[in-house]
Amino acid sequence: MTTASVLPARNGLAPGGLTGTGKLLVFMLRRDRVRFFGWTLGLALLMTYFSSAMGALAETEEDLESFAGFARTPAGAMFGGPGFGFDALTVERFLVGEYGLYLLTGAGLMGLLTVVRHTRAEERAGRTELIRANVVGRHAQLTAALLLATLMATVTALLIAAVMIGGGYDTTGSLVFGAGAGACALAFAGTAAATVQMSAQPRAAAGTAGAVLGAAFALRALGDMAHVQQSGPSWLSWLSPIGWSQQTAPYTLDRWWPLLLSLAFAAATAALGYATSMRRDLGAGLFPPRHGAPRAAPWLNSPLALAFRLHGPGLVGWSAAVLLGSGAYGSFTQPLLDGLEDAPGEVVTLLGGADNLLDGYLGTMGLMWAFVAGTHAVLAVQSLRNEETEGRTEPVLATAVGRRALLGGHLTVVGLSTLWLLLLAGLGDGIGAAASTGDAGLLGETVLGHVAHAPAVWLVLALAALLYGAAPGAVPLVWAVLAYGLFAGFFGPLLELPEVAQSVSPFAHIGEYPAETLSVASLAVLTALAALCTAAALAAFRRRDVVTQA
Amino acid sequence: MTPAIEMHDVTKSFGRVRALDGVELAVAPGEVHGFLGPNGAGKSTAIRVLLGLLRADSGTARVLGRDPWHDAVPLHRRLAYVPGDVELWPNLTGGAAIDLLSRLRGGADPARRDELCARFDLDPGKKGRTYSKGNRQKVALIAALASDVELLLLDEPTAGLDPLMEAAFQECIREAREAGRTVLLSSHVLAQVEVLADRLSIVRQGRIVESGSLDELRHLTRTSVEAVTRQPADALAELPGVHDLRTENGRLRFEVDGDQLAPVVRYLGEHDVHALSAHPPTLEQLLLRHYGDGTSSGADGGRAA
Repeated sequence: MTTASVLPARNGLAPGGLTGTGKLLVFMLRRDRVRFFGWTLGLALLMTYFSSAMGALAETEEDLESFAGFARTPAGAMFGGPGFGFDALTVERFLVGEYGLYLLTGAGLMGLLTVVRHTRAEERAGRTELIRANVVGRHAQLTAALLLATLMATVTALLIAAVMIGGGYDTTGSLVFGAGAGACALAFAGTAAATVQMSAQPRAAAGTAGAVLGAAFALRALGDMAHVQQSGPSWLSWLSPIGWSQQTAPYTLDRWWPLLLSLAFAAATAALGYATSMRRDLGAGLFPPRHGAPRAAPWLNSPLALAFRLHGPGLVGWSAAVLLGSGAYGSFTQPLLDGLEDAPGEVVTLLGGADNLLDGYLGTMGLMWAFVAGTHAVLAVQSLRNEETEGRTEPVLATAVGRRALLGGHLTVVGLSTLWLLLLAGLGDGIGAAASTGDAGLLGETVLGHVAHAPAVWLVLALAALLYGAAPGAVPLVWAVLAYGLFAGFFGPLLELPEVAQSVSPFAHIGEYPAETLSVASLAVLTALAALCTAAALAAFRRRDVVTQA
Repeated sequence: MTPAIEMHDVTKSFGRVRALDGVELAVAPGEVHGFLGPNGAGKSTAIRVLLGLLRADSGTARVLGRDPWHDAVPLHRRLAYVPGDVELWPNLTGGAAIDLLSRLRGGADPARRDELCARFDLDPGKKGRTYSKGNRQKVALIAALASDVELLLLDEPTAGLDPLMEAAFQECIREAREAGRTVLLSSHVLAQVEVLADRLSIVRQGRIVESGSLDELRHLTRTSVEAVTRQPADALAELPGVHDLRTENGRLRFEVDGDQLAPVVRYLGEHDVHALSAHPPTLEQLLLRHYGDGTSSGADGGRAA
């Protein structure tokens, strides 16, 4: 580990740019000793879970065939992948084809979060300055962070491959699949190396890299949908780092070469990161900070207005992404129906017939956007907690603003913005669907089906608020509600989760309109529960100490 | 007359750390009160109890005659607060933050705000994330001083300011006193408070150890002097106000009460002084001298009961 630090410091053009990389890497590993195994083992365990659940459920050919029915449709492709080898289906092909996507996405997240955490977040916190004042080269920190991400990617790849080989599946295919996950982690580690140079804010850096991950997911979704119905722009999958890992087709074609694209992408984005890092000062972004108005806007005069001002800029980005994404998914409605004409009759019957397929697709989209809106809500409550721990809540509460008004203002803004996002998603899906099928009547139904999920999202928001009010450190626990809801909503029926277990999720009651009827009683009960939790949250926040700095 | 601030036997613990251990504090209306203590002594915790941001475990606290925990909102209309570590919203300008905080408190005079921006030499058009610590401090100070309030709670308000800005700050506090406002001014540097405060309270390990007017605490404001004279200066010990005279390698070291400095300097002059240094004692030195233990800089050392 000392090799890097003994690189000569008098070496011509780049004097010791990497000096200290080894020591920094050891230090990062030490800081991340829990996080390292949390990510790598966590991803491998997720695969183990999928593998054992499928093994238990698909004991016969027919069982497997019934699962595959959905997977072969465009909707199945959107949430799964291109479905290589699904015409001669095996358990392992189904596993990587339908669930592999979530491992790839998780690996991508791991890569980008690791790099942001050890570069821009450190720089923002002022610790980079301390480190760089020592005998440490200009590029040492970024290099060490990328090496750490590479190490995590390699361990993830090996663990996933080991899990699959241990499950009795083909060795080459398992190695290809594991390598695909590792390559995806590298691609997004590289992406983050570039985005951390742009903005001085770690959150903006992670957000930009996350947006690239989201775009990669969406591109391959559209491409894969075109692929399974054998018409349309299937080349879109080839624009996505997630797509490259899927195109290796583990257990079917077992081709390695698409991963070269991933590695080239990782190398190119990392190189962009190194190049741009030379063009900026320590602690600064690539673009100089802009001047602003020396006075507050006249409307900025209440806790509600402040909450709007704080959440507003982020909401603009969310709105754009939701509108774009829903428009794209909505406009796939007709191609999806066309694709189904050639599908085997039993598949169509399984999905409730050709008529219901349209409704089923739009209903499922509504549920998916509900999770997106829920994610927005939980992130917003977490940002509220950051406001407090970073010392910006204290001066506000020291003015004539009560605790209830402060928290209530935030919850009002976030509650309305989740409703707004659902409305936008409904409009995007609805307009897309109406335009592609020529049936204008779909718009109203779709908007209603999407917006109807608001009470479930509000309950998630209220639960997050309750934790914030009572035990602010525990706010991240709400992710479990969302994750479980997502799992139970999309995989529960497939994995034959008991009814009771499914009904624990707040998202399981309203109904996926227009495919199912809306349960008015559920809407009322969920709204009432959300209101109750909100009242409890406000009361709890009034009773606790404000978290202050030192 | 109701005291502006009253704390009686207030305790507050964070886990096993006892931050306040029976604090007694009284501040009369219209007074500038220095709240002195080493880092970690409990100054910020006490101020946050007075703001109703923290709830005292026991004891009573009264601000302008009301309970700060229950009547936080109506009280906050009548007071302004500057935290020790000012954090601003990264994408709001300093000017916007000043306006926002003033409006949330119930409004401020825009002319006064602009005048203060000029006096403190603050560019209100820069985004919060680009300000240095001193500039963030100025933003909070301007927001507090621009408001027409009865009470100012200032937690180490000059920690990040340069000497020029500190002078501007002192002028503002004098104006506030003339306007009849009450000021609680915390600091860990005696000299900063000395020039402004009518009365002082010294907090150490969560307790008030000294309280009184500057005159009453005169024994705390001795000057430490080191001098070398060509002629023997043995009679120095007999001068009024001279304490702890020692001679080391021909160097005289002693302490002298502030109001007795003139005759001592005159005496040293008459005895051909050719090296002289004088400095006020640090708070740590004072506390060490008076309480015989190190309250030193360590925050934890100061907090442990």
